[in-house]
Amino acid sequence: MESITVTFKLNGKTTAVAIEPLESLRTVLREHLHLHATKAGCGQGGCGSCTVLVNAEPVLSCLMLAALADGQEITTLEGIGTAQHMHPLQAAFFDRFAAQCGYCSPGMIMAAKALLDKNPHPTRAEIAEALAGNLCRCTGYVAILDAIEDVVTQMQEA
Amino acid sequence: MNADLFIPRSLDEALSVVQTHGAGLLVMGGGTMMMAHINEGIFFPQKVMSLARAGLSGVYRNGHTQIGATTHLTDVSQIADYPILAEAAFQIGGPAIRNMGTIGGNLYMPQPAGDLAVPLLAYDAHVELASASASRTISLEDFLAEPRSHRGVHELLVAVHLPDPTGYAAYLKLGRREANTPSVVAVGVRVVMDKQGQISDARLALGAVGSFAFRAKNAEAALIGQSLNTKSIADAAQIAMEESNPFTDALATAWYRRRMVGVFVKRTLEQLAK
Repeated sequence: MESITVTFKLNGKTTAVAIEPLESLRTVLREHLHLHATKAGCGQGGCGSCTVLVNAEPVLSCLMLAALADGQEITTLEGIGTAQHMHPLQAAFFDRFAAQCGYCSPGMIMAAKALLDKNPHPTRAEIAEALAGNLCRCTGYVAILDAIEDVVTQMQEA
Repeated sequence: MNADLFIPRSLDEALSVVQTHGAGLLVMGGGTMMMAHINEGIFFPQKVMSLARAGLSGVYRNGHTQIGATTHLTDVSQIADYPILAEAAFQIGGPAIRNMGTIGGNLYMPQPAGDLAVPLLAYDAHVELASASASRTISLEDFLAEPRSHRGVHELLVAVHLPDPTGYAAYLKLGRREANTPSVVAVGVRVVMDKQGQISDARLALGAVGSFAFRAKNAEAALIGQSLNTKSIADAAQIAMEESNPFTDALATAWYRRRMVGVFVKRTLEQLAK
């Protein structure tokens, strides 16, 4: 078997891409589609830096066969905001200095988005639970939790 | 990375792939362990089958409870009728891992991963194995103890079956941190009490302290006829330590694992005594 073609909705746009059978979704996003926000971290399911949303649920794109993306809706960080029009979570990470090296931020933000889309009023403990699979080795967890709590507060006020 | 990938759309289709490709076929549930090996570049399977689209997920009640093999850990963590199974699933990985990993895949994980076997042993689970020509249902205990090389290469694990739970159960896992960690030890207990407050039936399952998860049957036997008190708990913990056959890995030494069996069996039984 050589390459196979998969078609999925990527950040709202129907996308078809030729892949090798055992390629991960992360590899396809980064190397075929040149979307580099999704990070290549451990490749082992230990760090969460490759977190994307599949049908609104967080998954680790490094552990997902890209072939299984066929027919699904995939959302990456590129799909939720731009430098000019940041998603509220991106703006809050910026305001709260919740990124030092920034490598974990895309995964953190996607995991947080999945939580807030389902539960707009989480407690700090629930936020921490939602981020349990995402590592920040700059140890910026307090600022990250603060940033997400800011967004929760903004949504309550809005 | 030239390989054949099969994504069957039904159990029948999956079983015919298994029948055709047999021994050389790698079967993936959620892929959380196998994709990690492939990413590491040390493992190059030639034939892979993902069960993700084979229609094997879901929780059904029909006199007993049946959990489809590819039911995600997230869904297992919400099965209220089997609280320590739900608890054990919730303590695996983080939310993204639980959205990918499956109950069937978890039962094929080598120790110290594969926590779900511990509460499932405590609940007397059986597993249903199917091939193109037949199916059989065996106790999880027998399934785990069966050497991999003797297991039929033409069989797939399709479902986990659970009798209605009786008695009281508790589960504790020790890891090196709160989340996203394999176990140093995992303990699942379930006891049934008679009217006098004495234990009439007991299950005491241990994970990460042997080559597979197992029931500490001497410790179970020692609990029968006892009430849960300081002495009976200490005795069961001591016997469970002696029954363990722990190993040393990057997480913990065998020496430490054995001692933690004593500590965590004691704490788990103390939870039930409350």
